[in-house]
Amino acid sequence: MRRREMLGALAAAGALRGSPAGALRGSPVRKSGIGCGCAFEPAAAIPPGSDVFKDVGSKLRITDMKVFGVTLDEKIARADRPYVFVKLETNQGVVGWGEATLEGKAGAAMACVNDLRDFIVGSDPMQSEHLYQLMYIGSFYRGGPVLGSAISGIDQAIWDIRGKVFGMPVYELLGGPVDPRGVRGYYHAAAWTLEEARALRDRTRQAGVTALKFQLPDLLEWVETGRKLTRAVKHMEMLREGLGPDIDFAVDFHARPSPTVAAIILREIEPFHLFFAEEICPPENMRAMQRAARKSTTPLATGERLIAAYGFNDLIDLGIVDVLQPDIAHVGGITALWKVAAAADAAGIRMAPHACEGPVGGIASLHVDAAIPNFLAQEICGLVEAGEMNRVWEDLMGFSAMRMVGGQYPLPTKPGLGFEVSEAALKKYPFQGTRPFPPAFHEDGSLASL
Amino acid sequence: MRQKIWSHLPTFAPQVPAPQAAAADGLSIATVRGWRLREPSSGRRYTVLRLTTRGGLVGYGEGAPATAADIAEAKAAALGRRPNETEFIRHRLAATPAMEAAVNCAFLDLQGKRTKTPVYQFLGGPTRFKARVLAHLEGQSEDALAAPLQQAVRQGFKAFTVPIPGRDSLWRMQAYVDAVRARVARVRSLVGVDPVGVNLAGADMDFVLDAAGTLTPGDAALLATALEKNRLMWFDEPTSVLTNDGLARIAEESVMPIGLGRSVTDIATFQNLLRWGSIDLLRPSLGLNSISKIKRMAAIAETHYVAVAPYHDGGPIATAAGIHLAASLPNFFIQQIPFPTAERDRAMRAELTSGNQETAKDGFAPLRNLPGFGIEVDERALDRYSEETV
Repeated sequence: MRRREMLGALAAAGALRGSPAGALRGSPVRKSGIGCGCAFEPAAAIPPGSDVFKDVGSKLRITDMKVFGVTLDEKIARADRPYVFVKLETNQGVVGWGEATLEGKAGAAMACVNDLRDFIVGSDPMQSEHLYQLMYIGSFYRGGPVLGSAISGIDQAIWDIRGKVFGMPVYELLGGPVDPRGVRGYYHAAAWTLEEARALRDRTRQAGVTALKFQLPDLLEWVETGRKLTRAVKHMEMLREGLGPDIDFAVDFHARPSPTVAAIILREIEPFHLFFAEEICPPENMRAMQRAARKSTTPLATGERLIAAYGFNDLIDLGIVDVLQPDIAHVGGITALWKVAAAADAAGIRMAPHACEGPVGGIASLHVDAAIPNFLAQEICGLVEAGEMNRVWEDLMGFSAMRMVGGQYPLPTKPGLGFEVSEAALKKYPFQGTRPFPPAFHEDGSLASL
Repeated sequence: MRQKIWSHLPTFAPQVPAPQAAAADGLSIATVRGWRLREPSSGRRYTVLRLTTRGGLVGYGEGAPATAADIAEAKAAALGRRPNETEFIRHRLAATPAMEAAVNCAFLDLQGKRTKTPVYQFLGGPTRFKARVLAHLEGQSEDALAAPLQQAVRQGFKAFTVPIPGRDSLWRMQAYVDAVRARVARVRSLVGVDPVGVNLAGADMDFVLDAAGTLTPGDAALLATALEKNRLMWFDEPTSVLTNDGLARIAEESVMPIGLGRSVTDIATFQNLLRWGSIDLLRPSLGLNSISKIKRMAAIAETHYVAVAPYHDGGPIATAAGIHLAASLPNFFIQQIPFPTAERDRAMRAELTSGNQETAKDGFAPLRNLPGFGIEVDERALDRYSEETV
């Protein structure tokens, strides 16, 4: 069959495309007598079209990489996050799709995907791990969110190709499904009065959805006044009363509080038994987060802004949180999300991957979710009722992507990630440029963590 | 105060080599004059320095109480220097923190006046357009607190300190905790706030529980836990025992925010408190730490998500300087302002400077877009209230 031909001893030299112009080539050349690495030529022509894997690799080669910026109408989706989709094409006609959306940095993410072009075009997509290493380690400065998102988009597309070549959904390549019924999810929700919360409870039950996530009522400073603390606690008390005991609800603190303020709120919301409290303080200083975490019996979740498995080391090793939330569009794609999950599983930590971008990353995340035993729930930036955004997604993907049935996302069944993006549909939502993440300000005009 | 703080510490040689004194140009400091001030009723003391450049620019700076010898030391350090040399001064006057604060303050005033810009522009530009303020009330009993509290409310303050009662060893612990709770409830009710702080109605007045370093870490931990749900903004200086073990006890037992540092004068002490997670709010005193030094402390605190609320028990010049500092710090939370009970003390503070900023609007002090600190100092008033002029 065809996939066997792709992988097998297809000797046609034409399948082995040469390295594209600009690819790294040559052996170490010492330019000067001074032992500074800067004086060396790159050591070897590793991947794109390199010969070193010719006896062990496949004949499949990535022949082109395309990046699509997709801007939805501002009334439908926030203007700071045009979707960034990546399409990889191969010499065998198989294509792969991935998502590199980065909120507020669409232009940089698209440029960074293109910066990685020489690593990717000409390479063998079956070498997903090797290419992940090449993009992450080989980039020297390792990952921040821009590089992380670019790697994510390419890595997802590589896995899409791998699945299609093997003729199986990606979750099967990863060892799943753990639960064939599907992947549990939660929607975003808001309720500001008890009546709204009760109405939301009824709609949620009707839809068969079992979990929701809410925001805090206020922006918060690093020390807080009594009014805002009371509002935060009363808001969660009201939500529990309105939603009743059988809907899990999480609250996204969104890194607004300091550990100081988070600890006070966490102590007082214990009786409401949240699904989890998310990003209780900013993400850079894990030991600072640990200060507040020690005070909490509520499960704590974090991780959407962290890059690669390395970004999660301290959280896992110091035992700071109960749930990790890497974002498959930022952490480094399927490869990195799976690695974080593996480390978390060994430490008894659960996974609730973050997803607040487009449908491609969401579906890619479902494949990892389905294959990890420590999975808790999958986020998507949608509401209990499908809206305009979901109609656009249906237009792009050809089916109602990332909508739950009976509280679970159905598992894709087709090979790869299990969908094709309509390029004709993409043309209807042309890229309108980058818009920054909208800032928020406190009463005195100082910048707030949104 | 200097002796108390520094007697146990070795004196380090300046880490920054003394630069060649600048060629005698218009900006170099030509004269230094110091006033040791005392408020007539409260007896609160502080020091004001006036630095004059060869070109005739005049800058004022304020620091904590100092001796004539300290002022002479400041004079020796500042003469012939230019007002940009704040790093030299920070090291040269490390052993006299009040003078380091005062000279730095005067240097910044000169820089602002020289460039005709407010000092907050010099410090990195405004990060906010107004600064939250905290009235530090005098009075050690509920009755003595009532009148100043209501006066402070009338002057626009929305945050206030409440001193804890001093505890002797015969005061049973339960009775003591009840007494502190009762005091908090009483001051809340005086300004129409729900006594235990659980209702939203009228809950826009906030209180800081001030222990002034009087408790043991164990008693402080007990009190912090007992009052942690009372919506106090923070528990200030619960103990003067700044050891890692002692403070860990308070931090681990309760979620009450802990403010510390009114007598701390070196940056590394704050770094250590932050490293150990013992502190929720940095409280460096404006009288003992220069603005440049507090900016360094704040930069370290920022990476721990910890805010800065400068302590202030001095005069109106430092208050004005504190608002400029507040404007420049991204992690500023609130500026303490002394709120004297006695009319004579209030009159003195008002006479020392025009453009006195020791009132509030809706709990905030506005920034003043004027050169230097935006105030005019009245030297006749300095002379009038001076114990000694050097």
